[in-house]
Amino acid sequence: MKILLTIAWRNIWRNKGRSGALLAAIIIGLWAGVFTVSLMGGMLDQRINFMIESEITHLQIHHPDYRIERAVDMFIPNTIEIREWLEEREEIHSFTKRVLSDGMLQSPVKTSGVRIIGINEVSERKTTTFHENLRKGSYLEGDIRNAILIGEKLANDHRLEIGQRLVLTFERTDGELSSGAFNIAGIFRTGSTQYDERNVIVRSSDLMSLLSSYEVYHEIAVLLKDVDNATYIVEEINHNFEGIEAKTWNELSPELGTLVALGGFMLFLVTMIIMLALAFGILNSMLMALFERIREIGMLLSIGMSRLRVFSMFILEAVILTIVGAIFGILLAVLSINFFARNGVNLEMFAGGIEEIGWPTVIYPEITAEEFTYIVIIVILMTILASLYPAWKAFRVNPMEIEKDT
Amino acid sequence: MAVIRTEKLCKVYNPDTIPVHALRDVSIEIQKGEFTSLVGPSGSGKTTLLNMLGALDMPSSGKSWIGDVEVTSLTDKERINFRLHNIGFVFQHYNLIPVFTAKENVSFIMLLQGVDPKTISERADELLEQVGLGDRKDSRPSQLSGGQQQRVAVARALASEPQFILADEPTANLDTKAAMNLLDLMQKMNEEQKVTFVFSTHDQRVISRARRVITLVDGALYSDKEQEPKIVLEPK
Ligand SMILES: Nc1ncnc2c1ncn2[C@@H]1O[C@H](COP(=O)(O)OP(=O)(O)OP(=O)(O)O)[C@@H](O)[C@H]1O
Ligand SMILES: [Mg+2]
Repeated sequence: MKILLTIAWRNIWRNKGRSGALLAAIIIGLWAGVFTVSLMGGMLDQRINFMIESEITHLQIHHPDYRIERAVDMFIPNTIEIREWLEEREEIHSFTKRVLSDGMLQSPVKTSGVRIIGINEVSERKTTTFHENLRKGSYLEGDIRNAILIGEKLANDHRLEIGQRLVLTFERTDGELSSGAFNIAGIFRTGSTQYDERNVIVRSSDLMSLLSSYEVYHEIAVLLKDVDNATYIVEEINHNFEGIEAKTWNELSPELGTLVALGGFMLFLVTMIIMLALAFGILNSMLMALFERIREIGMLLSIGMSRLRVFSMFILEAVILTIVGAIFGILLAVLSINFFARNGVNLEMFAGGIEEIGWPTVIYPEITAEEFTYIVIIVILMTILASLYPAWKAFRVNPMEIEKDT
Repeated sequence: MAVIRTEKLCKVYNPDTIPVHALRDVSIEIQKGEFTSLVGPSGSGKTTLLNMLGALDMPSSGKSWIGDVEVTSLTDKERINFRLHNIGFVFQHYNLIPVFTAKENVSFIMLLQGVDPKTISERADELLEQVGLGDRKDSRPSQLSGGQQQRVAVARALASEPQFILADEPTANLDTKAAMNLLDLMQKMNEEQKVTFVFSTHDQRVISRARRVITLVDGALYSDKEQEPKIVLEPK
């Protein structure tokens, strides 16, 4: 009935302060919900993409025990056959072989334990984006002998500069210790200080010649054209080859999976808190509206307005506010997400330490249409649920309330 | 047939704690076209009785009829609907919807009744004209004086074409002039259109306007007298 809409609409304007506060609560609640979700979504996505693109790739092949024991003699026995197989498959974008070793890095300043990654600079560049992390110097393509790339953190700790030398010591495949001098060709910085401190990159040929008298590779990293094919390609590789084990990015880095799950839970928690605060705000202000108008409601019931209409009048008021609030909230959310998706949200000033633990500091918020819709629906539902109780109270008013004096 | 008839109405408030016997065996009959005043000291049960007559509240015992409907046997929902179509109300205060104009307030009850919009508009204009507020149709209650607000309430009560109009101390919040003007209006409606009014009051000048005076004392019928009403023709 149109008249109910008219009353509800005018009642909204009756107490502009209260309606305004309610509207603001809905707008801010919706915006905060959407923005938090998009921020965390962006953060997770960037973290995962960074890990996948810069190092993990979509799937990796190792000696079955290598990932647990990390012994240098646990290399891939049939590299050539695997390489031929991989080259045939059209699902595969590119792949790269790596020689890995744990060792000691010595500079005049101190000694650090590092993981030495020997790469083929040409195939690595095709497969990962690691080269983008280079901040100073050159990549391994130059003709510097025994070139090495080290992380910025490590370089600072050891007060090392490009062109200086350092010594790496590690175990050979025959069990003997071996060491070699390397020349710093470049300094990289990834999103993770932890990574920068613990990893150094050299040419696989240089590392291999110090490590073993024959060809050894510990890891083959494979980039697919479509990440969704990872599971079945992994199954085929494991089925076709003996003495190796292929794993998807998900299995390789279970912490990423946990992160996704944890992120989801955090999102749920944050949105729930926001929504509860919103619901209580609405409940409170609608109850206040009810108490202010209780005599008027008594009068309406006395002259013959049905309880259902009184109830609807109250609900309509909340619904109108919710719809208006939701429209502005959505608008605000879309605008701010668009803006920050382009410019990024710099978290450095709020959370100085997050880069240390490997999280990006500039976040590009992103949200799926489903997540967005879900939050909008939750906000609308919450508002309406919260106004049900006051509306129910209005439904129950005794017509004789009108006789009570102020 | 009587418009209103009650049979041994009793009302006990708080029966389980400190019982208040607000009405004791009140049996009355009110005929169509009467102009009846309900009087009595404060606490004598005037409001309580009007609530029963208006089907706003249920008695503890006894019965009442409006026309041939026994309202004391109706459910809450039925009573609301019954009130909408059969009883007009003028309260002491909080009569009007504050966010509506005078005309909207008068129209509202007809909308609830489902009258068609064109008739509503014409009738609202006509009624406001009759109560002397033809030029204040678009004013909200807050822009009207207490007397004017009560006139809008009378117009609203008339708009629903009820069997009778109940008014609980309609003049209590008004100054003498406004009170007399409102009484003039009610009297005119009664004389000219045979509208039945039952109103409660404390005010001797208001009582003198009634044709019938029912007096309650301690919730019981004390006296029920006809009198020659003081009629003021063409006031002001
Ligand atoms: N809701 C209630 N609960 C308990 N007692 C009530 C209630 N309403 C009225 N009473 C009591 O019932 C008695 C009659 O009250 P009522 O309001 O009908 O008197 P009244 O004649 O209208 O008085 P007044 O002239 O002051 O308006 C009084 O003693 C009053 O205190
Ligand atoms: Mg009273």
